[in-house]
Parts: sequence; structure tokens; C-alpha cells
Amino acid sequence: MNGWIIFILLILLMLTGMPISIALGLTVLSFLFFMTDLPAELVSQRLFTGLDQFAIMAIPFFILAGTFLTHGGVAKRMIRFATALVGHFYGGLAMAGVFACALFAAVSGSSPATVVAIGAILIPAMEKQGYPRKFGVGSIGTAGALGILIPPSIVMVIYSVSTNTSVGKLFIAGIMPGILLAALLMGITWVVAKRNDYPRMERAGLKEIWASFWDAIWGLLLIVVVIGGIYGGVFTPTEAAAVSAVYAFVVAVFVYRDMKLSDVPKVLLDSANTSAMLLYIITNAILFSFLLTSENIPQAMAQWIVDKQLSVWVFLLGVNILLLVAGNFMEPSSIVLLLAPILFPVAMKLGVDPIHFGIVMTINMEVGLIHPPVGLNLYVASNIAKMGLTETTLAFAPWIVVMVLYLLLVTYVPQIATWLPNLVYARPG
Amino acid sequence: MRTFNRVLDHLEEWLVASFMALATVVIFISVLHRYTADVPWIWQYTQHLSLTWAQELCIYLFIWMAKFGAAYGVRTGIHVGVDVLVRLLEPGKRRFWITFDLLAGAFFTGLIAVLGGLFVWRMTGTGQVSPDLELPMWIVYLAVPLGSSLMCYRFLQVCWRFRRTGELPSHSQAHVEGMEVQART
Repeated sequence: MNGWIIFILLILLMLTGMPISIALGLTVLSFLFFMTDLPAELVSQRLFTGLDQFAIMAIPFFILAGTFLTHGGVAKRMIRFATALVGHFYGGLAMAGVFACALFAAVSGSSPATVVAIGAILIPAMEKQGYPRKFGVGSIGTAGALGILIPPSIVMVIYSVSTNTSVGKLFIAGIMPGILLAALLMGITWVVAKRNDYPRMERAGLKEIWASFWDAIWGLLLIVVVIGGIYGGVFTPTEAAAVSAVYAFVVAVFVYRDMKLSDVPKVLLDSANTSAMLLYIITNAILFSFLLTSENIPQAMAQWIVDKQLSVWVFLLGVNILLLVAGNFMEPSSIVLLLAPILFPVAMKLGVDPIHFGIVMTINMEVGLIHPPVGLNLYVASNIAKMGLTETTLAFAPWIVVMVLYLLLVTYVPQIATWLPNLVYARPG
Repeated sequence: MRTFNRVLDHLEEWLVASFMALATVVIFISVLHRYTADVPWIWQYTQHLSLTWAQELCIYLFIWMAKFGAAYGVRTGIHVGVDVLVRLLEPGKRRFWITFDLLAGAFFTGLIAVLGGLFVWRMTGTGQVSPDLELPMWIVYLAVPLGSSLMCYRFLQVCWRFRRTGELPSHSQAHVEGMEVQART
């Protein structure tokens, strides 16, 4: 009963369009005031203690690292390297675009920024080579979503914080599905390009591959620093994030020289802005899940589903549908914050692997970014390509289908996600 | 009043950016410190330093950054909600609901500021200190009422401006430095 009141109140407040964090906070406050005799002062204390965890602090550090490297210069380097590697295939420039998106998205951590950075350079270049515009828009716009699967991923940090799973394991689990999805998207691009006889580029010499590799490597090493550092036990995920922020600063200012020292305060302020917004939602979401737990709602839901004898199969399908629908209304981090604490206990009760569940949620967030009516990447892509939203959606369609099929594959073949972390972490010592 | 706002804006930006930078430097140094333990010529100078408080300081810096940054975020329009329904409304009604949302924000943050203030007030009597830095806890917790009051003020400011000019701050997530083309979202 109380559960219904909480959810209906939350949904009503959210539909007025107020910030999600405020809607969460007001739901908790009004419930505490009217329905319980818990002291409301508890709320203000929780707003502080909720954040009092070192693991959460990885988020601002990763955002800072990403902001340093979210630069047109970095995008150009990734494109040059990707073109040198795959440009000579059918649809070479488009394949290079998908590849460059994967690289840039992993480093910058922002899907829409990836679409802008790679798309603004490559979509016109592809048109000049004779590709239809919608082919460029579709391939680049969807590949931009790859970033949240390839570590370091903020969505994964948020999942790990709200479900108490290991960030290190999640990051390593993301590698395989990430590479597989990038390969799949490139494969589709190749097939379509071959059928339509889209242009190929001249094969780049070893010299160019080598030179472009050395130019791009400084940005890409960020991924190595994070994964290697966490896995090698050199530092905790949060420390890895801090080191990667310093590393990104050094690369942007001293190695690439894309940025002057005088640009640094602006980068700091921008990342603080994004981080503070996320941390504000996180505190309020922690309040909210505290309320849910004290009312025993996730447990009751888990019990209800177990009593219904729903199979894991049906449950996961339901989760996918729910997350895809939610993807229409909110951005990835809010969805994970809101739904992970509710869905996770149920999944655990049904025996789903916590890492696998995290990867399934993450891929759902990717699809949410590109599927109509309101995927963020759709808007951005339609904006930079000067195409209507419907037209952009049609251009996205083949890739959306591939992504959804891929989502189902990863949902029902958990080994894709769990194989690597199990292998890596099973080692004795 | 205008000078007051200008000073407040600058102070807010300056604080938020410095907290961010400081936290990064603190954690980076503590990692360096740990890994230079094997290098004798550095270690002979640094072994007396104890950096066990680094994590705690980082957390507090980020909490302060988050509370004031959230207020800055109201000014830049980064706190978004589910606006599909509101977008469909006719201008008059939309104006009403946007005002409602902004006032709800002001109400919530104002309430938290008061509750947080009461909480801090009670803390001052207990003499509680933080585990590593041994800072009085009431000073650390001061982030909640101060940040929330500022946030409340920002909501009212944005609301006031919206009623007068019909303009709302909006934040683009798709901003990339060093690119000629920028997308609006």
C-alpha cells in the first residue's frame, strides 16, 4: 500500500517536469512528514552521510578526466588512427567512424559529445566521398553510445555504488561486450557498404598507421591506466580515477597542447557542474532507496515475483522492456540510480549474476540513448547533420535493430559478460 | 544588489573549481606518496608524512563541491527532469508549470536548509570530530545548510528571471571544446 503511494507521488512529481533530484527529495520528505513518525531532520543528515563514501568519489574524477579529453583535437587523432587501420575496407570511412566513436567515447565518457566530435568531422567528409547522408548519421550517431559500455564508465560506477558490486569487475566485464558490439557495428557497416559499393580509401602505409598510433596512444592510455591500475591492484577505483584525471590533464595541456593552462579553470568548473548535478541526484536517490528499504518494498517485490514463479527468462525480458521505456524519459545515470535498487534484489533472489545484471542494464542505457522518440543521440545527430528528427530516426533504424538483438544476446548468454571477469578474478592470489 | 550577485557568482565558481582541483591533487599525492616508498632518496624526505587523512579530506571536499556545485547547476540549468509532458502544453500552461517546478525546487532546498541548519546547531553542542582530520563535525556538515540556502536562492533567482523575461538557463551536454560545430540538445 505504502509502496503505491510512494511511486505514484514520485511519478506525479516527475511528470510536472521538475528536476528528478527535487522530485525524489520531495517524495521522501512528504512521505516522512505525513505517513511516518521518523524525524525529518534525518533527511538533512542523510543528505550528507549518503555521499560519505570514497567509492562515489570516482564519479567526479572520471568526469574531470573525460572533460580534459573531450576536445576536437583528440577526436581528430582518433579518427586519423581509425582511418589508417580500417579505411581501405568497403565503407572505410564509415567503419573508421564507428571505430573512432568507440575510442573517443571510452576516453571522453560522454555519448552526445562523441556524436558531436566525431560526427561533425566525419558526416560531411563521408558525404563528400559519396555516401548518402543518412548512412553517416546512422553509423556515427549509434556508435556514439558505445562509451558507457567501454570502461571507464560512469554509469557502471553508479551501478556499483547503488548495488554494492565491484567496480573493477564491472569495468573488466564491460570490455568483451564493448569490443564485440563495436565489431558488430563495424561488421554491419561493412556489409551494407559492400552491397551498395560505397567507396574504399587507399590503404594506409605502415608508416602512417605507426605515426597515427603514436599520436592517438596518449589518449588511449587512459583506459590502460584505469583498467591496469585497478586490476593490477595498484590502486582502488577512486584512486585510479584521480590518477586518470591528472593523466588527462598532462596529456591535454602538455602532450597534445589542445588546451592552455588558462583553460584549466573552465574545465574544472564544467566538470564540477556535471559532477555536482550527478552527486545531487545520487544523494536524493540514496534517500529514496533508504525510504524504500525502510518500508520493505524491494523485499516485498522480490517475494511477489518469486511467489509468481516467474522464470529468470521472463524477468529479464521484463527488465529490458522496463529499462527501454524508462530510457524515453530520463538519462542513463538517473535510471540506474532509480531502478537498480529496486530491480537488483529481485535479480539476486532469482539467481542472476550481479555483474551480468549490471552489463545488461548498461547496454539498455545505450539503446535508450539512440531509440526514438527521445534518445539523446538522436537529437544531437539530427542537429549536427541538419536532418529532421523522423529522418534521423529512420537513418538510425538498422543500427537500433542490431543493438536490440545484441541486447537480447547478452541478456540470455551471460557468459559474454561474465567470462572475462571470472577468468581474471578466479586466479588464485 | 547587482554587485552582490556578481560577487556571489564569482565566489561560487571559484569555490567549486578549487574544491575539485584540490581533491584531485590530494588523492594524486597520496597515491604518489605510497608508491615512492620504494625510492629511497624520496622516501627519506617523505616517510614522516602521514597521508591517512587524504581520503577523508577528498570526501569532504567533494561533498562541499557537490553542495555548492548543485547551486551553480541551477544557474546553468543542468538539473533536468522529465519534460515530455510540459513541452506539449500551450505556452500559458507551460509557463505555470515551469514556475511551479522552480518554486518546488526553492521549497525543497529551503526546507533542507532549515533542517540542515537545525541539525548543525545541535551538532555544535556535541563536540564530535571527524575520525582522521579531527575537524569539528558541525563545520563539515555546514555544507548542507549553506549549499542548500544558496541553491534555494538560485531557484528563486531563475524563477524571477523566467517570470520577467521568459528565459530559462539551458545546458548543452553536447559541448566539445575545439570544434567549430556545436549541437543544441
